[in-house]
Amino acid sequence: MGAGVTLQVFAVTLVFSIPIGILCAIGKLSRFRVVRFLISIYTWVFRGTPLLLQLFFTYYGLAILTNGAISLEPLPAALLTFVFNYAAYFTEIFRAGIQSIGRGQYEASKALGMPHWLMMRRIILPQAVKIILPPMGNEAINLIKDTALCSVITITEILRNAQKVMSRDFNITALVIAACIYLALTFIVILLFRRLEKRFAYYSIK
Amino acid sequence: MEVLKIEKLHKYFGKLHVLRGIDLSVNRGEVVSVIGPSGSGKSTLLRCVDHLETAERGSIEIAGSFLAKADAEGKSVYPSAAEIQQIATSIGMVFQNFNLFPHRSVLENLIEAPVYVKKLSKDEATEKALALLARVGLSDKKDSYPGQLSGGQQQRVAIARALAMEPELMLFDEPTSALDPELIGEVLRVIKDLAKEHITMLIVTHEMNFAAEISDRVIFMDEGQIIAEGDPHGILQNPDNPRIQTFLHKIIDRE
Ligand SMILES: Nc1ncnc2c1ncn2[C@@H]1O[C@H](COP(=O)(O)OP(=O)(O)OP(=O)(O)O)[C@@H](O)[C@H]1O
Ligand SMILES: [Mg+2]
Repeated sequence: MGAGVTLQVFAVTLVFSIPIGILCAIGKLSRFRVVRFLISIYTWVFRGTPLLLQLFFTYYGLAILTNGAISLEPLPAALLTFVFNYAAYFTEIFRAGIQSIGRGQYEASKALGMPHWLMMRRIILPQAVKIILPPMGNEAINLIKDTALCSVITITEILRNAQKVMSRDFNITALVIAACIYLALTFIVILLFRRLEKRFAYYSIK
Repeated sequence: MEVLKIEKLHKYFGKLHVLRGIDLSVNRGEVVSVIGPSGSGKSTLLRCVDHLETAERGSIEIAGSFLAKADAEGKSVYPSAAEIQQIATSIGMVFQNFNLFPHRSVLENLIEAPVYVKKLSKDEATEKALALLARVGLSDKKDSYPGQLSGGQQQRVAIARALAMEPELMLFDEPTSALDPELIGEVLRVIKDLAKEHITMLIVTHEMNFAAEISDRVIFMDEGQIIAEGDPHGILQNPDNPRIQTFLHKIIDRE
């Protein structure tokens, strides 16, 4: 049914874009102006243009631009685009999460002699996770639906599969089934995030 | 022997000259209170000692190590980040708003820095932490989270957390001003016990009776300078300086 490809894009995107997002968020909050500037350009470009356009660019555009020297298969092209697109959104979510941690937490860590990375790892990021879980859940649901865009660069995922079957059989059964699969997947994601949020609700930030 | 020695310290926030030449020494085992009107630079002074702020001129020496050393022109020169962190571990800071780590239990708050900064074993750190919790009367709260505690309890945990690093010097910045009146006593009692054990302390406070009771020395700050300094009786009960008199009258009026 193409669900395998959809899940693959979903999983690979999350696994790679989250760490990239964390690093970029920390970079965006660092005192190095060049780093901050470059990351701002990156998030602006990827959040400021349609994901569809970015897919076309990596699949068709790169090949044309380099006279075929770089020409990616559809799936790698899709994965690359999705990872960097979602990492850009995660960067902004994580940045906001980290910034929402009060100054007192930094000062207490510093007063205890914690080096910067230890403080980020043990004190700031764990608290930020709690705050970013709801927006992360939203992005994960968006991601499931966005995987349908892969169909435009010839990847046979759920939607493209359904479309084929629909034009072959001339009825909408396949389309309804596709909708049900998307709903099932988003339902699982919703449950997962609800459990995560519960796990982090055992303490309350004052 | 001096645990803290500050010489000719100046601190600016932009154009605002907040500390205007502070000279201050605190001996081992001594309890020194800092009083003075709002905006006189008391917090800034403590924050410079713990390197939460960077001074522009003057020197700060803590237990024999220079946190800031004045160069030939008097400008403060700071050592590497690693050295600063090392010095920071020899100072315990207690904040007005406690600043406990909300995502860690009381016990975890206490062992965090001993384990990850001082590299103690978890067992050793836990043993020490439990003893400290007993000292501040919170043994039964070791598995609670800060959000489940009253302000007074949180501040006692914060004091224990600072003590867990076995600092040479404890700094308190108005440790009871964020507390409801009925919770102030329990925190002051803990600090009094520390004074009896001759823990070296520098305390900013508006609690005049408390300051009079526990201090070996009281310092009065105004407009970024130390205006008067002496035993608590002289400063608090019979001040001959009119600025101190005005300040004390204002405090009494407020209470
Ligand atoms: N981060 C900062 N940036 C700019 N100005 C600051 C900063 N922190 C403090 N100040 C200013 O420095 C002066 C001294 O502040 P400080 O907090 O040290 O006073 P204080 O004696 O602790 O007062 P209070 O009794 O109200 O706590 C004040 O005028 C304050 O507005
Ligand atoms: Mg203050």
